[in-house]
Amino acid sequence: MKLLLKEKVRQDCEDAIVVKNVSKYFKIPREKKRTIYENILGLFQGNYGYEEFWALKDIDFTVKHGETFGVIGPNGSGKSTLLKILAWVLYPEVGSVKINGRLAPFLELGVGFHPDLTARENVYLYGSILGLTRKELKTKYEEIMDFAELKRFENVKLRSFSSGMYVRLGFSTAIQANPDIFLLDEVLAVGDEHFQKKCKDKIEEFKRSGRTIVFVSHDLESVKKVCKKTMLLSGGRIVAMGETGKVVDEYLRLVGDPAGKNDPGMKAIAH
Amino acid sequence: MYLWDYRELIGNLVVSDLKIKYANSVLGFAWSLLNPLMMMVILYMVFSNIYKNNQQNFVIYLLIGILSWRFFSMVTTSALESIVTKQSLVKKIYIPRDILTLSVVISGLISSFLEFLVLLPLLVILGVGISSTIVIFPVVQILFFLIIYGLSLILASLYVYFRDLNQIWQVAIQLGFFLCPIVYPLSYIPEKLQAYYMLNPVTRVIGMYRDIFLNGTIPGLSDFLVVLAFVAILLIVGNLVFSKLSRRFAEEV
Repeated sequence: MKLLLKEKVRQDCEDAIVVKNVSKYFKIPREKKRTIYENILGLFQGNYGYEEFWALKDIDFTVKHGETFGVIGPNGSGKSTLLKILAWVLYPEVGSVKINGRLAPFLELGVGFHPDLTARENVYLYGSILGLTRKELKTKYEEIMDFAELKRFENVKLRSFSSGMYVRLGFSTAIQANPDIFLLDEVLAVGDEHFQKKCKDKIEEFKRSGRTIVFVSHDLESVKKVCKKTMLLSGGRIVAMGETGKVVDEYLRLVGDPAGKNDPGMKAIAH
Repeated sequence: MYLWDYRELIGNLVVSDLKIKYANSVLGFAWSLLNPLMMMVILYMVFSNIYKNNQQNFVIYLLIGILSWRFFSMVTTSALESIVTKQSLVKKIYIPRDILTLSVVISGLISSFLEFLVLLPLLVILGVGISSTIVIFPVVQILFFLIIYGLSLILASLYVYFRDLNQIWQVAIQLGFFLCPIVYPLSYIPEKLQAYYMLNPVTRVIGMYRDIFLNGTIPGLSDFLVVLAFVAILLIVGNLVFSKLSRRFAEEV
């Protein structure tokens, strides 16, 4: 309890996410070597080079506590790379990332689910991966199963689940992680209409309760609805940042579709 | 230590690993007891005829060798793949990655404890008896566990980058089986080579198991010193290699 209180105080006075001067490159080998055998061959053939591909360059931004922050941009602009850096999955070459508060990355739902374990076992496993304690999981277990509408199947192995059931179980568990900061990577586009609505309501609820949300999406309508502030990435650099409506217009201009008639996702692929 | 903060997650990963390991076969856990026993019978038939064997209680001698080698070979083999097979836990979320390797090795430690149970009835049946030195067994087991964990950290992180390491390791395991005194008595090694031979920590550990169960003696100080030195070296090198290589796991896995 003491710890929680301390966290609370820190939250009040600091920004949720501070990204300073972050750059990230990937090494793209001219010839991909995945085995020792290939590496030994490479020694003799002397083709050891690789190219550096800068996926992100000089990224600087802060997200305040309680802010809803969107990230948009064409495919390959570095959105997902940025999200993975925020989630600590990727390691930035240059710069620093500071996260204040408990963070839950929703890059994929049901991370670590195993088909040979039952729904109940998977909830406990996934919950602990998300940082929930056994005690917390015990008290929230019923709620998780109710929200997923899978109570009947709690002792069924995940192997026999449909992909929809799988995702429902994942989402219901993940929201219980009760984070201060959400990282969302288009995971809302799952399940049927009925479940999607439930998800959107839940996100709305988190927004109202003052959580911080970072939302990466191609769906400009959702971004407009969810996010107050938005950042536009292109070619790994920040092109625009500010009030969502303006940045979305900027994006449409960038992909050459000012009226926003065409599906922006498709347009981005063409771009 | 930061791993302590993740004890619940480690516990859950270990339990899941054990469940998956034993739930997928009809006989489940029974297999892991039958397997070393059958192996022992086969090797006994082969090797008790090949050379004049003056080793007392060769059956027990063999079985201890097999049980300890199984701990080493099976755990390093599965730990080698511990990062690559859990891709989504590396690419989609952050948890300290050494947890993935650690939980596989802990699950192997528990399996090995259970497998050693098969030894107890045989010790009684074959008239060797159970010595009080058996209380040292957990200590030896933990030391062996630490050696295996250190080595596994190196193997698991290298395997992310070099995908034929599993093939190479299989061959190394085959070789190691004959480099350690599992199927032959120690006296079989020429005397001038003994000093080098005894530098192998696995040889020392197997000797310690035999002291405890078969000879009813406390392992010598030199055994403990050699093993402890290897524990320290492997844990330090393993953690260094792992933390260096783990930075790019999400890109390479």
